[in-house]
Amino acid sequence: MENPIHNALLEQIKHKSDKLMNYFLISFYICGLLLAFFYDTWLIAVGVGSLSLMAYYSTKWLLPASNAYQYVLSVVFGIFMAQYIYQMHGLFEMHFIAFIGSAILVTYQNWKLQIPLALLVVVHHASFGYLQYIGYGNVYFTQLPYMTLQTFIIHGILATVVFFICGLWGYQLNKLNRRLIKQTYEMGRFQEEQLQKKVLERSNDELRKSNKELDSFVYSVSHDLRAPLSSVLGVVGLCETATEDPFMLKNVGLIKTSIKKLDGFIIDILDYSRNSRMEVTNCEIHFNELLSEVSNNLKFMGNEEQRKVSIRTIVNNGDPFYSDKSRLSIILNNLISNGMRYQNPQAPDPFVEVEVNVSKSAASIRVKDNGVGIDKENHEKVFRMFYRVSNKSIGSGLGLYIVKEAVVKLNGTISLTSEVGKGTEFSIQIPNIWNTSMPR
Amino acid sequence: MEYKYAKVMVVDDNEIDLYVAEVVMRNTKFAEQVICVKSGKEALDYLRPLYSDPGEIPQFIFLDINMPEMTGFEFLVEYQQLPENIRSKCIIMMLTTSLNEDDRLKAERNEFVRRFLNKPLDRDKLSLC
Repeated sequence: MENPIHNALLEQIKHKSDKLMNYFLISFYICGLLLAFFYDTWLIAVGVGSLSLMAYYSTKWLLPASNAYQYVLSVVFGIFMAQYIYQMHGLFEMHFIAFIGSAILVTYQNWKLQIPLALLVVVHHASFGYLQYIGYGNVYFTQLPYMTLQTFIIHGILATVVFFICGLWGYQLNKLNRRLIKQTYEMGRFQEEQLQKKVLERSNDELRKSNKELDSFVYSVSHDLRAPLSSVLGVVGLCETATEDPFMLKNVGLIKTSIKKLDGFIIDILDYSRNSRMEVTNCEIHFNELLSEVSNNLKFMGNEEQRKVSIRTIVNNGDPFYSDKSRLSIILNNLISNGMRYQNPQAPDPFVEVEVNVSKSAASIRVKDNGVGIDKENHEKVFRMFYRVSNKSIGSGLGLYIVKEAVVKLNGTISLTSEVGKGTEFSIQIPNIWNTSMPR
Repeated sequence: MEYKYAKVMVVDDNEIDLYVAEVVMRNTKFAEQVICVKSGKEALDYLRPLYSDPGEIPQFIFLDINMPEMTGFEFLVEYQQLPENIRSKCIIMMLTTSLNEDDRLKAERNEFVRRFLNKPLDRDKLSLC
């Protein structure tokens, strides 16, 4: 897992190790100088030591971004070993310098750094050991007069074990570090997530609360607005029955129409608010009952003209249908009342026909009238908020918008076909939520 | 023309609505005597002593829902405590401006309530009673 914290920490390890290397390399160099006193090997101490340091620092300087200088370092440790062995004329203990180098390399936490050192040791031992035994002059590998193959193998195995263990520690340290970094990182993220979750939950609660408050606010406001309106309507009704005077009757009729219009607005706003805030409920719908409820109600509310419209219902109830009753009621109420309002004065038999076909998966509802119809260019627009086709439109311009919103809430679809002067037909598909979740 | 019922009670905190109900009932000869009370408590106080005088029990009670102190539904709970001979004589009609579906369902589930009517009361609505 790569992330900024991780990279920064690895960078820190590298930086610290590099700093340590400066001290080690200087010590190695000085050590070479000290050893030069024994057999007067100044040229070797200064020459080989300087070349080694130059190799290391020039690589580091030329390729600062890569880790190549670390591999050069590994080789340099091998060369220092060879240099010391030579300087001490094959003093056996000088061979241990390889182990010191191997141990130092652990700090980089990279097992691969052991490889160049190990390879160099093998090549050095093999070549110098061989050269010395065949009697080549001035080659110092060991002070032993001879070395058996067995000694050589044990020597090799021990060296291998040391390189292997140092490589292993490097690898293990690296793994552990990565894991720790990952854990730290995840812990931090987890805490942050918890915090966010808490904040989210709190704001969710607040939202839910304010939604509830808003709903009850809209409910009480609309009730409080409607209560005096219905009182006025009651008194107007009394006036209407108390007079025969056509002028008075006309005026009272106008008042009544206005009050009903205002009441209609409030009811639309109430419907809209409830549709947008209330959760979808799930109960069995009996379309016959629902339709007779809705049409009875509309007959009551309507005026003389509207009462002339006959409401026909055809319900083919195949399967039990589950959906949200109050939303279905809003939908049917608005569509049927539109059909009653926008009737065609030329039509001898104004009607609104509602046909419902219920299947296991959905209810398809068709609301058809022989009213004035809607011009083709307005078919899309009628579903817009506050859109009214003409100034003859009676109402808030919210009705079909609310219908569409309610249909959407029920995951349904709505479309319309209409011809001016012939009538309008709305087709609605509402999914049956019978299968997905049965009621309690 | 004879009165349809002898005695009807209307419970509503709104005086205008009480007045409208009273006039409509008188005009349509719906009830000979209209008892108008302005709260559920008043209605209970009126009804309670009548168990010894069942002839005076109103045949209908028109009940508003949204009233201060005691709502229509709270009244119905108290009403249940009244003696059987009172309850058996009364028919309760909810008369409210509420269009809330929950209110309607709650009212219709109540064994004492026969109908849920929306205000204002008029001739047509009374003819349903």
